[in-house]
Amino acid sequence: MTGTLEERATAADLVTEALDVGYGGEPVVRALDVRLPPGAVTAIVGPNGCGKSTLLGALARVHTPQAGAVLLDGRDLARIRPRDAARRIGLLPQQAEAPDGLTVRDLVRYGRHPHQGLLRQWSPDDAGAVDRALAAADLVELADRPLDTLSGGQRQRAWIAMVVAQQTDVVLLDEPTSALDLGHQLEVLELVRDLAAAGRTVVAVLHDLSTACRHADHLVAMRGGRIVAEGAPQDVVTPGLVRELYGVEAVVLVDPTAGTPVVCPIRRLAP
Amino acid sequence: MTAHAARPATVTAPPGTWRLGRRRWSVLIDRRALVAATVLGGLLLLAVAVSLALGTARVELTSTLPAVVGVGEPRDVLLVQRLRLPRVAAGVAVGAALGIAGVLLQTLARNRLATPDTVGLNDGATAFAVASVVAVPTTLAPSAFALVGSATAAALALGLSGGAGRRGYRFLVVGLGVGAALGALTQLMLARAAIDDANRALPWTVGSLNSRAPLAVAILAVGVAVVLPLAVLLGRRLHLLRLADPVVLALGQRVSRIRLAAIGAAVTTAGLSVATAGPLGLVALLAPEIARKAAGPRNVPVVGAALAGALVVVLADLLGRTVAAPVELPVGIVTAVVGGPYLLWLLLTTRTRRIP
Repeated sequence: MTGTLEERATAADLVTEALDVGYGGEPVVRALDVRLPPGAVTAIVGPNGCGKSTLLGALARVHTPQAGAVLLDGRDLARIRPRDAARRIGLLPQQAEAPDGLTVRDLVRYGRHPHQGLLRQWSPDDAGAVDRALAAADLVELADRPLDTLSGGQRQRAWIAMVVAQQTDVVLLDEPTSALDLGHQLEVLELVRDLAAAGRTVVAVLHDLSTACRHADHLVAMRGGRIVAEGAPQDVVTPGLVRELYGVEAVVLVDPTAGTPVVCPIRRLAP
Repeated sequence: MTAHAARPATVTAPPGTWRLGRRRWSVLIDRRALVAATVLGGLLLLAVAVSLALGTARVELTSTLPAVVGVGEPRDVLLVQRLRLPRVAAGVAVGAALGIAGVLLQTLARNRLATPDTVGLNDGATAFAVASVVAVPTTLAPSAFALVGSATAAALALGLSGGAGRRGYRFLVVGLGVGAALGALTQLMLARAAIDDANRALPWTVGSLNSRAPLAVAILAVGVAVVLPLAVLLGRRLHLLRLADPVVLALGQRVSRIRLAAIGAAVTTAGLSVATAGPLGLVALLAPEIARKAAGPRNVPVVGAALAGALVVVLADLLGRTVAAPVELPVGIVTAVVGGPYLLWLLLTTRTRRIP
């Protein structure tokens, strides 16, 4: 990635306290206490339906807690005005769709919304933030191309650039690499690393355990709405954890270049 | 390294926009939307002039618009002001109302087929307007009842589908069902009513400008005059509503509030237009499409849809009055004849996943 992020974010302290979240009825995430390390990339991993996207949705204010709270720098997120919260926390949801015919720049401009108003529709800050976000995601040349003419990886970078233009201290990404091939995955994950290098707190739901180990500083492993393990990937990823999370027997190797764990699944274990 | 130029004092506006700014205040104007609205407005003015000129007695085209404000030959002024203007003005108001209702519903359901015809608002308004004529015969009643009717249909469609946004498609299907049920109710009432009552209720079932009540037109005009500026103010947020709900929430907006405001505006305009001219088919589908084609993808063209709706209705009425003269075809039949093939073309050629 050639782009650089000029502005440094201030460290944001994002914590959940006895958090219950769900969709009415039984909570999907139960009594969850977690602290997301500031200025680092945290990956949330776990089997389908374990509540990882639901947790991310609660951090992003998309879901309201049934009990407990999400605290941002010690303040209850539910009590912060939506616009103010949107200047601190940005979200890229799964499989985001854009209206027809929008260009990359049009999409990135959406990210400025929390900073704008009816009579403050385009400030010098807006112009600067959009330009820098485009540069950070290496999209300057593609800025005026319609989104539907881009590759999957480029489109995903455009969405991330929208979140970057929002200039939040916290960036939440829900499976940013799903449906992308290997090259495009790396394209996106390198951009994600850049975000944390500029001081942002990044939390990403990731499907693939080895990818998470390679690109995240901190791992939160969930199953059944609870946290099973958390910590640095090399400390927590063991054959035992893989068995507990996915019911799969696996060998955990060490990535010869990065020194991070690589998971080789062997076979499914009887439940 | 080349030397960087000093930061320019003026802010570069995004491509395709003009920035009007002073100190902390700034407004962005989308060039293409402005051009589109100007062109549609000009065409509407021309259509109105032609509509005022044609009839059993001709008025010179250039004399029509002056005659509207009372300037010119007394004969022309009489023909234009007294005889033709009320009908044309009703057409403009009805078309604008349907255009606004259409673009708002399409945007909030994220589906181009969601219009007051398809989600049942028009059927609800018709059923209640007919009920008001059959049951409480006063002149104010149809407007009030039609409003209540379209609000009832909207509440039913929204309630039964569990919200419009994420389940835009479900909202549409449930709305079709609600509309069909309310349409059946209208038929039942007409079948059971005394023949004189049924005759008086008929205008609200076909979509025609022949027998509009002056009071209903006035109420509609006030409704459009109130809703249009509010919808324009809502425009920036409507634009946001085209993204998925989680994105809108994460950008700091209260999605349900925007949606409630939009549906309130759509109910008001659709209900009042039905009270004036009955359910005019397909105008609310055609007008936003025309406006979007003209205004481009960067905005939700509320003003454009209002102008396009007015243009469609005025032209359809003109066609209905002249094509088979002296027989007058109800404008609703003309819009259905023109709009039907267009709807088919839309269904057959566009990707259904496209977000308006």
